Amino acid sequence: MPPKYPETYLREKPSWMAWERIADFLYFGFKTLGKRLSIALLDVGGIAILWILTSYVIIRLSTGEIGYALVPWWTFGIGVVEIAALWESFGRSFGHRVARLELRRGDGGDPALHQRFVHWLLWHVSVLPLVGLLPTPPLHERASGLALRPFTMEGRTPKPWWRTSTGLYVAWLLGISVVAAVSVTISWEDLVRLFTNAGSTAKFWRSFFSPDTSIIVKTVRALVVTVFMAMTATAFAVMVAVPLSFFAARNLMRGLIGRSIYTVIRVAMSIIRSIEPVVWAIFFLVWVRVELAPFAGVLALFVHSVSDLTKLYAERLESIDPGLIEAIAATGANRLQVLRYAVIPQIVNPYISFTLYRWDINIRMATVVGVVGGGGIGQDLFFYLKGNLWTQAGTVMLFIIALVWAIDYFSARLRAKLA
Amino acid sequence: MAEPYLVVEHLTKVYERGHVVALKDLSFEVQKGEFLVIIGLSGSGKSTLLRCINRLIEPTKGRIFIDGVEITKLSPRQMRKFRRKIGMIFQHFNLIKRATVMTNVLTGRLGYIPTWKTLFGIFPRNDRELALRNLERVGLLEKAYVRADELSGGQQQRVGIARALMQQPELLLADEPVSALDPATSHSVMQYIEQMNQEDGVTVLASLHFLSLARRYGTRIIALKDGELVFDGAPEEIDDQKFKEIYGEEAEEVEIR
Repeated sequence: MPPKYPETYLREKPSWMAWERIADFLYFGFKTLGKRLSIALLDVGGIAILWILTSYVIIRLSTGEIGYALVPWWTFGIGVVEIAALWESFGRSFGHRVARLELRRGDGGDPALHQRFVHWLLWHVSVLPLVGLLPTPPLHERASGLALRPFTMEGRTPKPWWRTSTGLYVAWLLGISVVAAVSVTISWEDLVRLFTNAGSTAKFWRSFFSPDTSIIVKTVRALVVTVFMAMTATAFAVMVAVPLSFFAARNLMRGLIGRSIYTVIRVAMSIIRSIEPVVWAIFFLVWVRVELAPFAGVLALFVHSVSDLTKLYAERLESIDPGLIEAIAATGANRLQVLRYAVIPQIVNPYISFTLYRWDINIRMATVVGVVGGGGIGQDLFFYLKGNLWTQAGTVMLFIIALVWAIDYFSARLRAKLA
Repeated sequence: MAEPYLVVEHLTKVYERGHVVALKDLSFEVQKGEFLVIIGLSGSGKSTLLRCINRLIEPTKGRIFIDGVEITKLSPRQMRKFRRKIGMIFQHFNLIKRATVMTNVLTGRLGYIPTWKTLFGIFPRNDRELALRNLERVGLLEKAYVRADELSGGQQQRVGIARALMQQPELLLADEPVSALDPATSHSVMQYIEQMNQEDGVTVLASLHFLSLARRYGTRIIALKDGELVFDGAPEEIDDQKFKEIYGEEAEEVEIR
């Protein structure tokens, strides 16, 4: 729906303050620029990925070599951009789909062929150098008499996926990805060995039924250390993540400063989270040169848990019911009181539930972290595996399975109660 | 005529850089003790208007006076203090679901009690007594220590009324208080609001969907359409012609008894 009143309506400042008009031009300009640009990037990138994967599979299957383009790279570059331009002008592209937009005539009708042609021609001078995107509507849309409108199913019948370009694109992409993925990771010889060489692990499996009883005390002790590692890491992570989560919730952080803090925390947290605890453990082993190996493991789990919990907590905060905040604020309560009576009652149980869940993850992670020397049961397991002590390794595995199963079960029961 | 209790002057609310005008140059006055009903289609600006009056939503333009005080000029701190005199009840009740009815009612006193006490959940004895009195008044005394989400819709709204009563308000804002309730319960809730109006002399501003309810309880009706005031007068003045002006040509009146 077009805006009923222009944004100059009800303006309190006099009209000679032209900077506001400039601000509006830039604001809406960058909005359209961002939208058109992300659509173009999606289409160009999507086609490039499809091209590379397809070429790879063709080259690999026909010659056994590794190659990515089939054609010279400059041809590939031009080709990809050109296909994207054609796709966006003559059909409803992948990017249009994602943005839920479609190309329509100014009066809402179906675009004529010559309009699409003009759109395609001017796409090159408008989207590629970006300047054509600044005015609203962008240059190529203005000249062709077309506009990107919100897509609607009103008055249309749905098409099956194989009749739409995006449907075919996605199907092709999925199919070729699976073929490429299999050809990269599996060879025929590996597959054969998987079945012919199974006997070499027999000792390991046998130990599940006749475990090495001499290492039970030692194993249980390591198991307790592992549980404690998870507990320490989770406890300290909660202390950091709870206050942090309030600064990482979009609905609580308003305004320029608030949003900056929000962005910094969210970005930092996702970077930290993207590095696996095992890597963190190696990192901390080098850093602190520990006396007690579990300390490095605890640090690794702690860092990862903080980032994960902050995200989980913050997302919960973002979905609280604003109605209760209104109601408490309406009584004349101040910010702290609103926090205490409108925010906290809505988050206590989810927070406890997330914490339990994270503790449960940390126990599983603690065994993995131990493998690189982070202490606990994982370290023992690694030691036995490296020394080809299969029976002992199997015994340790048995204990790990029992522990993880028990924790899983009880934390699930507890969380169900809290929900 | 006496000095009006509430004065709204040229009130305007614009959202999203001028694209959505929720209220357009609205002006009206309300006398002390009136039961003013606001009607209009969904999206006509009723909720925005009510929230501008206690500044849960900041007006873009215009002035609001309550009891001679220009509340649109108050600092956030002063406004919080002023809100104690303005009770509010909501369509979806907005109670703390996991807390007891008692706690919910006591939150009505938050503006009167030192912050540190409330943070620990400490409420003075006389406030607790007041809470029980108010619960008795809305007929929910036995439910005092029941969790709020165990109550029915009508009971929850009565808890909302008790919470508003705790503020000992001069003005009550009711944002579609019965829209989520069935007809029979609606009347019981409306009667409690009417009681506040008649016995405690609370000025009431209520937005309602059903014209029959508006006629039955309101002493005066104003109607909004696309953020503009299209009617202001006594309930009986709304005839078929006026009704169609407010709700559009195709609308037909639905009775609720």
